[in-house]
Amino acid sequence: MSSETDRSTGSTRALGDTWRSVDDGLRTVGSRINPVFQPLADGYNRLFGAYFGEMNGLQFLLIFGSLLGLLTAPFWGTFSLVQTMTIACIWAVFAMSWDIQSGYTGYISFGHSVLSGAAAYATAMLVYNVDPEMSMAVTIPLSILAALVVGLLIALPTLRLSGPYFSLITFVAVLIFYRLIRPFSEYTGGETGIQGVEVFTYDPLVRYYYMLIPMLVVAVALTFVARSNIGLVLMAIRENESAVNAAGLDATKFKLWSFVLSSIPMGIGGVLLVHYYGSVDPTTFVVVDNSIEMIAMAVLGGMSSILGPLGGAFLFVVLEDFLLEGLPASARWTILWVIILLVLVFARDGLFRKLWHKLDSYGHRGENR
Amino acid sequence: MLGTLLSILILGAMISAVYALIAIGFTMIFGVGGVLNLAHGALIMIGAFAYLGLTSTGGMLSLPPMVGFVIAVAVSAGASYAMYAGLVQFIEENVVITFLATVVLALLATELVTFWFGTDPYQLVPLVAGSLHLENVGTRVRYMELLGFVISWIAIGLLWYYVTQTDEGRSILATSMSERGAQLTGVDLDFVKSRTWLIAGAFAGIAGVFLGSLLSTYPVMWLNPLAIAFIIVVIGGIGSIKGSVVAAYLIGYLETVTIQFLGSSFQGIFSLVVLVVVLLVLPQGLYGREFVHE
Repeated sequence: MSSETDRSTGSTRALGDTWRSVDDGLRTVGSRINPVFQPLADGYNRLFGAYFGEMNGLQFLLIFGSLLGLLTAPFWGTFSLVQTMTIACIWAVFAMSWDIQSGYTGYISFGHSVLSGAAAYATAMLVYNVDPEMSMAVTIPLSILAALVVGLLIALPTLRLSGPYFSLITFVAVLIFYRLIRPFSEYTGGETGIQGVEVFTYDPLVRYYYMLIPMLVVAVALTFVARSNIGLVLMAIRENESAVNAAGLDATKFKLWSFVLSSIPMGIGGVLLVHYYGSVDPTTFVVVDNSIEMIAMAVLGGMSSILGPLGGAFLFVVLEDFLLEGLPASARWTILWVIILLVLVFARDGLFRKLWHKLDSYGHRGENR
Repeated sequence: MLGTLLSILILGAMISAVYALIAIGFTMIFGVGGVLNLAHGALIMIGAFAYLGLTSTGGMLSLPPMVGFVIAVAVSAGASYAMYAGLVQFIEENVVITFLATVVLALLATELVTFWFGTDPYQLVPLVAGSLHLENVGTRVRYMELLGFVISWIAIGLLWYYVTQTDEGRSILATSMSERGAQLTGVDLDFVKSRTWLIAGAFAGIAGVFLGSLLSTYPVMWLNPLAIAFIIVVIGGIGSIKGSVVAAYLIGYLETVTIQFLGSSFQGIFSLVVLVVVLLVLPQGLYGREFVHE
């Protein structure tokens, strides 16, 4: 943490001083705001603290303020911002699902777009090949099941491998899935994909809630799991797998569970995405870039914290589609990748975890007074 | 039938030679530093685009192809070294961060190249034009392919000589076996690692120019070769040069046979099947040793 400030010399020291005074200012402000929300946070902690972790007034303000902001976005945001946030909701589902598997266990998967792709293709292929009138009540569960099956298909052989070997094979899995689409184009529509999937709704306002609510459900469910003993075991696998085995827990079984936990929300995300676009094609659903984007979002927010990737996804998508909208695509992506690289090198734990700990320390200062 | 067999034999050898170059560079970096360099593919692309920029008539320079080739290889070796010295050496103690950073670096390089050259494929000026028509085999071999084969084997031969016969090279081998052991016998680790990155970059550059001329040159041209390098390296055993060469030919031939009999859309699918079988039977690959953390 302090190594970054240690390295600063000369001109950067002035910058450091400025930052310190800003930091102090924020600390004072924070410690004044904290008591205001502390009673609310205490109430929350009494009810849910045991399941989701406790927080102080400032952290409560951040979480519930953001929640309120998300729920009311159509009433204060511009049209294109809400549009962007609709997409961000889906990507947040992906980033969180990736995180429960890869961020928590340290088994970095480069193949998660296969899972969402499988769900989306399942939906589209059921409609296209089987019965165009098939209702969503049938296609949605089947598609999520397809994501789960594909997830287990990838998991079973690859979980024999450790660390980098695992990542390599998941990377290859995406490329294979992508290539399989063409030889079977009679069913999959090949490069052009399948059009004519029913969209949820054409009303942008209602559509936003169609994406937001599943996202929030996934977020709550995954946070609950991550804060439970299962999350603890998954984290222990990342730290020291042989210790988990030595403690009498079957690490492989838990890694398999992490895949299940990840595949189901990936399937939900895939279904949301296919019903958002109303079509499916390999470049928007399967390509390896999609998997890397999920990872980038999780990294930006902070790996192995479910809400971090959620924030990361919103930050990433809003940056890409809204704030940098005027720039040509390659310039936009260059800026985004540079930001991700900087976060990876200088803030490995991600921006939202940094923010969270800052709020924690500001809040504590208030209690001491 | 004999003709088909011979043409498979020849075409397979050509593509395998290029795969071997890619896989060796990738496996050396992993063997020596324990770093999974996912930007290795980007180096292939950088090599091809450097050659394009230096030799094409549309570019600012139009150097003779051979000079362009040498400079392109140097450019991608330099890029590889810069990657190590500028980024990887500061974060290599954390495996996960390192390979995420190298992926991001690869994508960044792709976007920068897209920014300058666009996404359309380019045709490279061949190092040697023309082709050899083998009448009794019924196939045509481009001189470029033959040259690729020859240069690949020269490079592998030189590397083999360097790594087994010279002290400097043997320090690379020693480091890949045991970092601490090498350090205790007076090996300068930083020096060894930067040399490994230089060599890997040069190999990727050579492969880039050949892949770029035999297929085509566009920003995401590195994705499939990188995937193939993964498969080869895992089958051959991570860190083993010999394993990479053997596995490269195995996969190269498998792909050629697949394309010949089933069509190019099935390319790569059988490689995966072989990969899964190898993983189930021999998790360490053909010539790999157990990856031991110190």
